Amino acid sequence: MNKRISIALVLILVSCGLLCGQALSQTGVKKKRPLPYEYGRVIINNYPDKADLAPVVFEHWIHRSMFTCRVCHVDIGFAMKAGGTDIKAADNARGYYCGACHNGKMVADGKTVFQACSRKVNVEDEKRCVRCHSYGQKVASDFDFFQFSQPLPKERFGNGLDWEKSEELGLIKPASYLPGVSIQKNSLAVQKDFALNPKVEGMPNIIFSHKKHTVWNGCELCHPDIFMGVKRGTVKYSMVDISEGKSCGACHTTVAFPLTDCQRCHSKPVQP
Amino acid sequence: MVFKPKFFKGKFRATIITVLLFLGLAGVCALRASGGPQSSAAQADQAKESWRKEFDSICAKTQDAMTFSQEELTDLIRRCDALLPQIEKLDETRKKVYVGRLRMCRGLYAYVLDAKKKEKK
Repeated sequence: MNKRISIALVLILVSCGLLCGQALSQTGVKKKRPLPYEYGRVIINNYPDKADLAPVVFEHWIHRSMFTCRVCHVDIGFAMKAGGTDIKAADNARGYYCGACHNGKMVADGKTVFQACSRKVNVEDEKRCVRCHSYGQKVASDFDFFQFSQPLPKERFGNGLDWEKSEELGLIKPASYLPGVSIQKNSLAVQKDFALNPKVEGMPNIIFSHKKHTVWNGCELCHPDIFMGVKRGTVKYSMVDISEGKSCGACHTTVAFPLTDCQRCHSKPVQP
Repeated sequence: MVFKPKFFKGKFRATIITVLLFLGLAGVCALRASGGPQSSAAQADQAKESWRKEFDSICAKTQDAMTFSQEELTDLIRRCDALLPQIEKLDETRKKVYVGRLRMCRGLYAYVLDAKKKEKK
């Protein structure tokens, strides 16, 4: 009898092991959920190795508190995917990409924004280089996330902040125009919010805030690269695709509030 | 036997060359003062500006894309296509930045045009 039980136990253990192995091979190792100050962080590792520098650590939270998405991703030209821009130090030194603001001349919040990259580098410049090339190094930042986030309305996921409400309350004022880079445009006609029906029965409808998205993104950031469907309802979106970074997932898996915050999109009250 | 006039020899020759050089210099100064032909560098600067002006003019209208007629959108797309070769001649950095920006503008106009065509059907 004992022998039978031990054989059964061994079989159960072996099958559990096989199942776990299969699950891991399909989905990979489960990702650690980023901490509020880490959410949106981008590690840029295009060419630093050649210059004997650490990869760049880009903090989205501080930049998004000062500028709308459009300024950086349309006007300056940063790609929507990490590594997609192929930024070079020479580009920054010429005043493009990071160098559009990090030029040692621009003033933000009463402080001169430090220069990103320069053609000639002295030993003294090393301290300046590591301000961005800081991956794996202990570098003091001018901005402290906890201090910054203290007065802002809180949310549960992502950076743990309600960015939209923060702007509404005037606690952050993201600029939508960068002199010398942005083009002066007419103000956009207010776009109507609309509802989208989810596939799953009982799941509340999605209220898509077209207004909010256009204010921050403009039109060309989303159309047609991210949302190519012209007529509403012709393209079917699935949560699997979204979680893989398609459509809403382009931002809502990386920078904007994450997919785990279901009711922020599925927000229409269900009628009894 | 080669004919060599006497006045092209010695000090007289040097004087003629000096006078000619002086006249040439004076002519160049006069042209500058009268706003005549510009240097090639200035012309190059103007050419640089012309692509940027056209780029700004095209891409400043993205906010209004929905209000344009099909003809206006088609014209904007045509202007994008005409501007692209000029941008492709720029240095590596500006080419990278502005080709991407122009692609986004063109993409939006084409997207709205497509939407309008489908709406008509």
